[in-house]
Amino acid sequence: MSFEAARHLTGILLALAFAQSSLEHLICDTKARVVFALRLICCAFLLAGIGTLPALGVLWLTALYLLHLFQGPYNGGSDKMGVLILTCLLLSHLAPSAFWQHMAFAWLAVQLTLSYFVSGQVKLVNSEWRSGRALTDVFAFSAYPVAENLRGLATHTRLMQIMSWNVIGFEVLFPLALLSAPTLWIALGVAALFHLANACLFGLNRFLWIWLAAWPSLLWLQDRIFG
Amino acid sequence: MMRVLILLLPCLIPSWRFFKSVEPSPRVQWRGVSPPGGPEDDWQDYRPAPQTVSVTGMLRRLIWNPDRNRDLWVVSLSERLILDPSAHFHDEICRRVAAEATAHLAPGQFSDLQFRLLFISREDGRIESQISYVSNPFPLAA
Repeated sequence: MSFEAARHLTGILLALAFAQSSLEHLICDTKARVVFALRLICCAFLLAGIGTLPALGVLWLTALYLLHLFQGPYNGGSDKMGVLILTCLLLSHLAPSAFWQHMAFAWLAVQLTLSYFVSGQVKLVNSEWRSGRALTDVFAFSAYPVAENLRGLATHTRLMQIMSWNVIGFEVLFPLALLSAPTLWIALGVAALFHLANACLFGLNRFLWIWLAAWPSLLWLQDRIFG
Repeated sequence: MMRVLILLLPCLIPSWRFFKSVEPSPRVQWRGVSPPGGPEDDWQDYRPAPQTVSVTGMLRRLIWNPDRNRDLWVVSLSERLILDPSAHFHDEICRRVAAEATAHLAPGQFSDLQFRLLFISREDGRIESQISYVSNPFPLAA
């Protein structure tokens, strides 16, 4: 994937993800409605490919305002990823030379890879994750399951252990997928299922859309280094 | 400005240590209260999870999930209130609880509300809950 195509696709996917979250705030909450309306307008500009740089700039400023308003990310890691993508995309447009534009976009790809690898590595070194106990506890008493009947999965200890090792294996091996385009596509397919499961079981829908928006950077970087 | 930069930095260089371990999990409970000597309501869970969510419901929530995202925000506020007590987190929980209570209480039934935080964890193999925070009464119209 070319740099321009990857950057353009990232802008479109980011606009869709931001539009989804902005609409939720705008319709279902009373807080900072003007800001979320402004973000929606910026998303429309990004999708139309008009005034991309000013739209990214305004989105970035509103992201800072929202960090201040909520005293941190509203939706945890997904908001962090959103700000990261936005910053890298903005810098890739502002940077004075092609080299620095590529570096800004590459930072996003590196962080995306780390997002899988690091979260797998911290689980791998934790005996509770290796035994399946940690995932059992997620279902048993954490606030994440979207419905009470899902807590019953915690009683299937063998299933919890298998699921834990599947998650750990996928996450720690993810960087190896960069070695070829076909393996990267397979890994992203597995990642899509992983995010989809998190969205369905734990209600983490925003993670699905925002992580998807970062994928083009990885497809570009893989092609640039190994293609 | 420095505070915003402190909040921005973890977004640009994130730790990505998702679910490193399963920490005690917060639940918010609230009740209606009246001035001293008046009646008190029983504690009730703030927006308990439904018994089931259908597959179509799960798929619909992929694109429209404001209630769930607000619930996760309240979970995050609860954790942050304990780790880094501040009026901001307290007031934000009060605002969410007041909105929820307004939908449940009859007009004039209680003048004030109160919330508390329970943290559920596994201790010696058993799942236990502990009350970690009880707010002072605050006006229903918070």
